[in-house]
Amino acid sequence: MGFRIFSRDFADRCFTAFSIMSVVLMVCVLVMVLGPMMLHGLKAVFFFGTNEFREMQLAVFGHGDSERIRRENGEIEEARLFVYEAVGRFRRGIDTDHLSDDVRDIYRDYGSYLRDNGVSGERYSTLRARAKVLRDTLQDAFESRDKGTVQRNLQSVLELRDDPDFRGTVIEAYFEKAESYTHVVESVDLSKREQYAKAFDEVQEALSKLFGPRPGELLPALTIDQYGATRWDVVQRELQKLLWIEEWVETEPGQPMVKHRTARKEFFANTDLEPIFDYTEKNLYRLFRPRLTFYWRYFLDESTDGHYFGGCGPEILGTLALTFFSMLFSIPLGIISAAFLVECTSDNIVVRVIRTCINTLAGVPSIVFGLFGMAFFVLFLFPMLGEFGHETLGIFSAETAKNLTKPNILAASFTLGLLVLPVIIRASEEAIRAVPRTYKEAALALGAGQFRTFMTVILPAAAPGIFTGIILSLSRAAGETAPILFTGAIAFGPVPDSILEPTRALSYGSYDIAVGDRLAMLVPHKQYGMVMTLVALVLTLNIIAIWIRSRSSRKLRGI
Amino acid sequence: MIQSQSNELSLSGADASLIPKPTYVQADDTDTMTTESSEAGGIIRSKDFCLFYGRTAGVKNITMDIYARMVTAIIGPSGCGKSTFLRSINRMNDLIPNIRTEGSLTVNGQDVYDRRVNLVNLRQQVGMVFQKPNPFAKSIYDNIAYGPRLQGIHNRSELNSIVEECLNDAFLWDEVKDDLQKSALALSGGQQQRLCIARALATRPRALLMDEPCSALDPIATARIEELIAKLKDRYTIVIVTHNMQQAARVSERTAFFCLGELIEYDQTSRFFTNPSNKQTEDYITGRFG
Repeated sequence: MGFRIFSRDFADRCFTAFSIMSVVLMVCVLVMVLGPMMLHGLKAVFFFGTNEFREMQLAVFGHGDSERIRRENGEIEEARLFVYEAVGRFRRGIDTDHLSDDVRDIYRDYGSYLRDNGVSGERYSTLRARAKVLRDTLQDAFESRDKGTVQRNLQSVLELRDDPDFRGTVIEAYFEKAESYTHVVESVDLSKREQYAKAFDEVQEALSKLFGPRPGELLPALTIDQYGATRWDVVQRELQKLLWIEEWVETEPGQPMVKHRTARKEFFANTDLEPIFDYTEKNLYRLFRPRLTFYWRYFLDESTDGHYFGGCGPEILGTLALTFFSMLFSIPLGIISAAFLVECTSDNIVVRVIRTCINTLAGVPSIVFGLFGMAFFVLFLFPMLGEFGHETLGIFSAETAKNLTKPNILAASFTLGLLVLPVIIRASEEAIRAVPRTYKEAALALGAGQFRTFMTVILPAAAPGIFTGIILSLSRAAGETAPILFTGAIAFGPVPDSILEPTRALSYGSYDIAVGDRLAMLVPHKQYGMVMTLVALVLTLNIIAIWIRSRSSRKLRGI
Repeated sequence: MIQSQSNELSLSGADASLIPKPTYVQADDTDTMTTESSEAGGIIRSKDFCLFYGRTAGVKNITMDIYARMVTAIIGPSGCGKSTFLRSINRMNDLIPNIRTEGSLTVNGQDVYDRRVNLVNLRQQVGMVFQKPNPFAKSIYDNIAYGPRLQGIHNRSELNSIVEECLNDAFLWDEVKDDLQKSALALSGGQQQRLCIARALATRPRALLMDEPCSALDPIATARIEELIAKLKDRYTIVIVTHNMQQAARVSERTAFFCLGELIEYDQTSRFFTNPSNKQTEDYITGRFG
């Protein structure tokens, strides 16, 4: 007997322990899954923004204190001048194609200069010929790798500096170029020029990623290239690319490749470029002025091309619109269907088949709904209605009819609505069935009709249960990607004016960033930001729904 | 076994001892009134009325007249069809699929099972109070106003006076007058049942059907309901189904005994309990039923 009591006690304890353990496990999993995602997502809102960020915000979205940004920008440009000058100097030694082009242009300008001044005949030919010699000598000097040849050529050009024929003409630029190149040749190892040219391209790219386009340079077409590193973490990342050369080298044949890092500073040792690496690293704060930024406008702002800058305002609006319209469609339909199944039919074979169908429908993968929505709404029903409405009835404009042939919010909402309909029907059916029979009897005994009884007595009593279904389906509708993939979601595009236009959505946006492989690595904060926003949005909607539910059930219980 | 249980039931007069017994004493006085009413004919008349659930009969060949402004009690063992008969009067049985009726059942001369009958009118004329208190999950005010609103009364002051009058009639006004917007579900069981009676009165019915109204209540709440019934019988025709024979004896002028779907005996309460003409009735009321 004692043993039985002991074993029963033991079993009870075990049961309690397992229950607690499973709850704790669930919470842990939830935290493990959602935690990092939310943390990453928060980086889209809380981060150290550099001056580039503030500049971009001002130029693209018109937010910020323009006076202060301009002042800071001036100071930063000053600090960057050192880098730009060093780069310019180095370029002159390396980028000789550029110099050769200049020389050729000057020669052409000289020809038209002579013609404009009325020089003609023999004198014209002589002067052109002399200038041509100068041009060729200079070009040879720029292209040569041999220090001796270069210096000889430059010397021979500079000897003609005082020639009266060239004084006061554009040819004087030749002498300036020759002189500056003389200095360059002294500091640059010409035999390494090819290597330098390639490495220099990388440096320039890293610098433009950091600082954005050089002042005075032609503005790039894409917004993504118009600004440097806007975030401190991007600054760090790009700085590594500037400071180090990363290569995959095969150390031994047949062995896997090894990542090999060499400092650019060593590579560019003894050149004009050498000091910029240390300078940039040491003055990073001065060059970027990072400041802790709470970018709350992330939830309102439009985004630039490729989601690179800006926020997810249109995505939030789109998700809300899709959820709202799908609920508008599925809640009444779901409740009416449930009411029909419970109130208006007896439990016969047809009803049982219908119920089984609904339960099966709840388990159908969402992509199937997406394909159905595309085939039925987008390709068949809406174009047909549009054509009928436009041509036969004349109630739709040509534009409406055209919009109806393309994916749009309405089609996506219907598809989402169909997806969540079974959930709502099932929950509502259970809730309506759970309303005590006596409520219905009481209303009927007072002379209320069936519809009146349902609306005034049964529906309010079933409301908490129905709300549970709505909460479940709300989250699902807001988060689903597959059903809207073909029926109404776009990755980029204008904010829609009507529900007959496609929209952006949080779920589809994060999907799009994730599959645009290179993009996802560039803007992980944007992707997780959207996911975080989606989770927060669904949570908010749920909390509102739960609040309403608890209120209505409290009212029912008479507290 | 059954016998001893029934004895226990009838003797365990917890409620009987607590409650003043007006009807036992007054039985003789009411006799005269009863005969007067019966001369006028019943307000609810049933003639060879049968109701079938599919093939099985719920009630068979019921012929009885229920007289106006009088309390008629229906007693009988469980499953004898007394509730079925009661619910037939305002057609609450329509909720059950596959029912079929035979014979005639009239209220105020109007055949209840006529196809043309207006169910809303019928149910407003014949109100009903159920076994378990079933107020709506609304405020006290809205509960009472539910019926009048169905009749199209939306005038605030008119509704106010109806609510006050009905709550007064149901002895509930003094208890709830300060907080009419409180949820009806916050009331106690007895108050809820009185609220349900008040709610039924608000449609201004001619008859009130009560289906074991006290079976879910404690003796004190039961006493108040009985007191209420005694008060209401001056104005309403009341039919009450009960399991409690003392209650039937206390509150009713006439009593009917149902058994296995048939009406066994229907008589003035005083005579019914003191001098039953049927052997079965006698067995039942003395607890020897088998």
